[in-house]
Amino acid sequence: MFRALSRARMILPVVAFCVAYAVLAMFVTNSYHQLTLTLVAVWAIFGLSWNLLSGMTGLISFGHAAFFGLGAYTVALLFVKLGLTPWAGIPVAAVLGGLAGLLIGLPTFRLRGHYFALAMLAYPLALLNVFLWLGHQEVSLPLIRERGWAYMQFTDQRVYILLAIGLLLATMIAMRVVERSRYGLALTAIKQNEAAAEAVGIDTRRLKLITITASGAVAGMIGGFHAVILLVVTPEAVFGMLISAQALTVAMFGGVGTVWGPVIGAVVLIPLGETLHAQFGAVLPGIQGVVFGVAIVAVILLAPEGVYWKVADLLRNRRGTRAATPAAAVTASAGTVALGEHAPARTPVGPGAPAILQAEGVSRAFGGVKAVQEVSFSVRQGEILGIIGPNGAGKTTLFNLLNGFVRPDAGRVLLDGRDVTGLPPNRLCRLGVGRTFQVVRPFARMSVADNVMSGAQAADSIDEARALARAAMERVGLGGLIDERAGTLSNLDLRLMELARALAGGPRLLLLDETFAGLGGPEVEKLLGVIRGIAAEGVTVVIIEHTLHAMVRLVDRFVVLDHGAVLAEGLPEEVTANPAVIEAYLGSKWSARAGD
Amino acid sequence: MTISDKGVLRPTRRDLLAGGAALAGAGLLPSVGRAQTAAGGTVKVGLLVPLSGIYSRFGQLMRMGAELGIQHVNERGGVPSLGGAKLELKLFDAGDSTEKAKNAAQRMVADNPDLVACSGAYLSSFTLSATEVTERAELPMLTLSYSDLITTRGFRYVFQTSAKAGDQANESLPILLNLAQQATGKRPETVAILTDNTASSLSFVQPVRDNAAKFGLRIVMDETFTPPLSDATQLIQKVRSARPEVMIMPITVISDVKLLIEKMNEFGLGRGRVPTIGNGIAMAQSDLLQNIRPAQMEGFITVVGNWDAKGQEAIIEEFKRASGEPWMGQNSIATYGDIWIMRDALEKAGRADRRAVAEALRTIDITEGAALYYPGRRVKFDASGVRETAGPVVVQWQNNRPVTVYPSDSATAEIFWLKR
Repeated sequence: MFRALSRARMILPVVAFCVAYAVLAMFVTNSYHQLTLTLVAVWAIFGLSWNLLSGMTGLISFGHAAFFGLGAYTVALLFVKLGLTPWAGIPVAAVLGGLAGLLIGLPTFRLRGHYFALAMLAYPLALLNVFLWLGHQEVSLPLIRERGWAYMQFTDQRVYILLAIGLLLATMIAMRVVERSRYGLALTAIKQNEAAAEAVGIDTRRLKLITITASGAVAGMIGGFHAVILLVVTPEAVFGMLISAQALTVAMFGGVGTVWGPVIGAVVLIPLGETLHAQFGAVLPGIQGVVFGVAIVAVILLAPEGVYWKVADLLRNRRGTRAATPAAAVTASAGTVALGEHAPARTPVGPGAPAILQAEGVSRAFGGVKAVQEVSFSVRQGEILGIIGPNGAGKTTLFNLLNGFVRPDAGRVLLDGRDVTGLPPNRLCRLGVGRTFQVVRPFARMSVADNVMSGAQAADSIDEARALARAAMERVGLGGLIDERAGTLSNLDLRLMELARALAGGPRLLLLDETFAGLGGPEVEKLLGVIRGIAAEGVTVVIIEHTLHAMVRLVDRFVVLDHGAVLAEGLPEEVTANPAVIEAYLGSKWSARAGD
Repeated sequence: MTISDKGVLRPTRRDLLAGGAALAGAGLLPSVGRAQTAAGGTVKVGLLVPLSGIYSRFGQLMRMGAELGIQHVNERGGVPSLGGAKLELKLFDAGDSTEKAKNAAQRMVADNPDLVACSGAYLSSFTLSATEVTERAELPMLTLSYSDLITTRGFRYVFQTSAKAGDQANESLPILLNLAQQATGKRPETVAILTDNTASSLSFVQPVRDNAAKFGLRIVMDETFTPPLSDATQLIQKVRSARPEVMIMPITVISDVKLLIEKMNEFGLGRGRVPTIGNGIAMAQSDLLQNIRPAQMEGFITVVGNWDAKGQEAIIEEFKRASGEPWMGQNSIATYGDIWIMRDALEKAGRADRRAVAEALRTIDITEGAALYYPGRRVKFDASGVRETAGPVVVQWQNNRPVTVYPSDSATAEIFWLKR
């Protein structure tokens, strides 16, 4: 994404693939092989629909058959009951599939992770029984002997292949465009870390709803087309577990999160399954399932992320061994080192500076645990404020309250004097509040630049996003590592990348959550330089830490939390000498000694 | 070239081509291929049934019936009008889904242009989707499936040998009620419906729901469940409190049969105390012998499309010896008969050509030969492809085995109806 692709390079391979497929298909005369070729495209498109939702946002759906089946039944029932031709029925199926996506998404996106996946599983199972109950056990599409083409019925099976390839081409191009757009960028950010995505200004709920609607529409469309191929629609055949599994299988086999993954999966698995069935089905019944299963298990073991990524890795490694020169590595690390040295000088902010952020009596309890109680403090414009406290003092909860992830039970949060209590994180982000997370969850396969760019949600265009990302990487000193993959970065560089991603959103106030965690002495020094540099450019910084040694040299002022309440507030030297703070950190024995 | 176990030389096409190439130089190239096939060669017929997956057992029974049929046809002179041509069976696995069934049908017609007829595909939904393919390929297909839809689509190449599910209920119910009246002196007046929600079961109970009044019955309980059951207690408790005089219970999954019947026996409703009428072969499947004490099945009735009948004793004995099965049952009998129908149609057509065979099937009218293997004992299909005299066969568990009790010309035993 950061490296722009020309329209031609983006679309040409897809067009070339589809044209080649169509040309080859025209030479196939065996009607069974023609059917298989049609089914390859059908399952590829279904896999792509799954990939749009689950591959790109990481929300695993076990229930894509819901949309597929609705599409199939729409086409079949419209045909049988109203005599509507599938030519019109398939677009209707797409619309209904999209609508179903929206309706399913509304309640289901309240759930996350495994819970989301399992809830999705329920929809096709429920629909299966609904359609049984409605009495649609078997809906057979009537055979039209005259003017069959008007009802999408052709004696030459190759027409179906061409139709399926047409749909595949359209879907692949659409997905390719999505992949490279800001929308795709935002989806990737959600997959990477939903909370972080929200923190960089993505309205994740809205975006997820749009995505499941689009994904449902594609699944509904291809379900409708499949009804034309299948000719007899039964609940088991379109809502069954195997249908949902089919989408997962082709996508996971081929590679998740790329347009080519489901296509590769379908091109390999569908003919393989059919061939095994044809060769062994009547001889050693059941063996085809075993061989198929073993093949999938083998691929999962050898290429856990799918064939596409495995091949991409192999190609990359081969190219990498040829291209990687020591010089590149040197410049890369040099870029990181340089920063700490030429950090601009900054003068600490005086007590007279206006407050940018204020917490007023903020409280939050989780059940009986009062994580944060009656916390009040203010952050002055341009300062570096450290919030410290022992483990479990409520620091991260406080951050989540300031940042909109958690709603306070009582109290207010003011940004520039304006009440922002309870605003969602993405809105706060747009108001200029950036944030990093304690646990860095980078998208390991993406380049550093793309990771950073996922934070540039405030940009109006993809070019502006690129510019913001580039500037942010320069600011933290990652300029030399633009094309490195995030998965290869050191812990320090990951922290810097996380910082750059927050900066790409153009924040005025930056909330840093335990940025120094797990770093060694020299690394801490580098990071200190970077943060000072950011502050010197006028960004207000609030940083959480439970270790004091680095913070003392960084911050202008401390707020000390203990048991969810403010224990002390003041300059570093005041706070470190405060017996209450020492007691909180080290126990009463040490505070008594400090008092001596 | 392959030599079959009966010593018949069966040249494969490759052998013929190779042989043909060798002979070409000598100018001796005979017109091999179809002409040769017709003159004492082999004629291919297909069997498209589930051979893998959860329905494979039903498909295996059909395969056994078909193989015995092929053996008998070939032993008894093949197809005389084709110079005694032998039949050759090609098997196709319909798998466990409508999609697989359809793909298998596509494979069957694509890879075997010389197939002249086929039989299949057990489940109605499989038959429906498979016939979409065979119809377009103009390949005649014989089926024992019950669904009404099979022959109401205007298809010309599908031939249904069993009575349709709806007709099975409509026809068998008055007969059974009469039998009850004869046996007990009182005609049952209350009925309970307990059904799973599969297509064939629902189309069996639908006429009961619609016409209960016409049958003089009052519905006192009507329960539908989705198979498989995990526990049948609640359902059977409802039966006990409803106290119906007769129960309609079409069940398609053997595990459900086991649960329901065992629970009925546990509640003292078994052995004909609540006369229970099922539909389809799950309730008379030989697998039940391994799953349930057969004594518990005593008295249960099921309505099927075909069953071991009077006059078939010799074949049934031979089948039991060859297969190790305790009885032959609908799937094996009907498929055995299908092979004979194919032979008779080929004989009538006089050509190993699928369109000619289809035409022969449309006009065939026999009461001998193949007709022996179907209730009504006549093979004549109407314009839609339904066998005209196809009626229900009523089977009842008596002395640890299901026996035919209706129609009378097929019956091997009398029905019994317990007096309360």
